[in-house]
Amino acid sequence: MERTFGDDEIIVSKTDLRGLFTYANDVFLRTSALTEDETVGQPHNIIRHPDMPRAVFKLLWDTLKRREELFAYVVNLAADGAHYWVLAHVTPSFDGAGTVVGYHSSRRRPERRAVDAAAALYAELRAAEQRGPGGSGGQAGLDASWKLLHERLGGRSYDEFVWDLTNGGGR
Amino acid sequence: MIRRRAETQQPTEDTELLRTLAGVCRRAAAGDLEARLPAIGDSPAAIEARSAVNALLDVTDAFVRESGAALSAAAEGRFHRRFLTRGMLGSFRHAASTIGAANDAMQASAVRVAESDRARLALADQLESAVLTVSEQVATAATEMGASANGLSDFAREAVAGAERGLTTVGSLRTASDQIRNAVDLINQVASQTRLLALNATIEAARAGEAGRGFSVVAGEVKVLANETSESSDEIIGQVATVQSAAADAIEVLESVTESIREMSRLVTGIAAAVDGSHDSGNAGLSQLAEVLRGEVSRFVTTVRAS
Ligand SMILES: Cc1cc2nc3c(=O)[nH]c(=O)nc-3n(C[C@H](O)[C@H](O)[C@H](O)COP(=O)(O)O)c2cc1C
Repeated sequence: MERTFGDDEIIVSKTDLRGLFTYANDVFLRTSALTEDETVGQPHNIIRHPDMPRAVFKLLWDTLKRREELFAYVVNLAADGAHYWVLAHVTPSFDGAGTVVGYHSSRRRPERRAVDAAAALYAELRAAEQRGPGGSGGQAGLDASWKLLHERLGGRSYDEFVWDLTNGGGR
Repeated sequence: MIRRRAETQQPTEDTELLRTLAGVCRRAAAGDLEARLPAIGDSPAAIEARSAVNALLDVTDAFVRESGAALSAAAEGRFHRRFLTRGMLGSFRHAASTIGAANDAMQASAVRVAESDRARLALADQLESAVLTVSEQVATAATEMGASANGLSDFAREAVAGAERGLTTVGSLRTASDQIRNAVDLINQVASQTRLLALNATIEAARAGEAGRGFSVVAGEVKVLANETSESSDEIIGQVATVQSAAADAIEVLESVTESIREMSRLVTGIAAAVDGSHDSGNAGLSQLAEVLRGEVSRFVTTVRAS
């Protein structure tokens, strides 16, 4: 079952440097069918959907390690089995001295057209990841998926891919 | 008893709660947007109050992250990175739209700058190739003009020499005429003397009578001969005068032609100096000037391309 949320709402979560929840707003808890106690202190992958390619999370963490922001289309799995698509904006949180103290994500409701395009790309990447010798968890699969991702982007960055979808599909 | 406990405990809990709230607000006000209000109770009002405070912090946090990133993306020319207004309400939304409009304006002016850059580079290319063509043509023309000028100088020199030879020839013609005139004068003298002699001979022959008759005929013939000689001498004198006046005309013409050719030769030398440059005046020649122009323009074009 697919779940949506309001145009006026943003789903917010914060993590520490390891990716453990330090905060989740009520929109997050509602769409993910989780309570605060089930969330804070847990790793962020508790809402990971099996359709999400590992290549995208590799890109996410690579980008955050460079202290940069990332926009990504992500599908999440709620605790009750529903799923929901978001356009996530993930950024490092800096303290006054410029040190990264954690990570932050605000998520908006995406357009259908953008979701369809992202889902088609992700399905290909997932297939490539599962074909590898170690199955979906193997390094070979991730490498193949990473290579395929860049092939499919055809010279564009993932960021440009996301913004082409976003600017083309209404703001 | 129960009532009294409630009365003493309630203010303590409220105070605790208000301190927590104040602490979170102070942190946020100081720019620490990581601050969030922890759970403050299970009552619907407490849950709602906490949700409201955190929603305010969430939207402020998101706005601050987005606005900074959107502006620095625009400054780096990544205009596709927009400030998404979805999820932003009221003033937040309005400010997001304003940033979006500023982003559009920056993109438009970036496009204009890029266009004028392109135009400037194209202009530089055109200028460069035009000047290259011109300077090549000038160099070719200069070479040809130099060669022509040299040819003309040679020609002028030969013409002057020829004219001078002509002058000498005409001059010797004049000398020869003078000598002829002298010779004719001498012949005239001889003729008039002969005429006189013939006259005397005729008189003497008449005095001799019949015996001098034959001699008288000879004397008459001699007189005729002397007269004829005088006549043809006059004719020769006339022709010599004609030759002499023609020679004088020829000398005049030859001298003026020579002067004209010398003048032309000076002009040609001037042209050759302008084309090839002259060491004396330190003037650069035409080909050198074309080379200098090309160098200047190429420096200018390099500057235009770099700026
Ligand atoms: C701020 C932040 C937000 C994240 N949001 C999500 C999310 O919405 N969904 C998700 O599956 N992973 C999210 N992740 C990535 C997870 O930490 C994790 O890398 C991902 O779920 C893949 O799980 P795995 O690393 O165990 O394979 C987020 C990470 C950070 C730092």
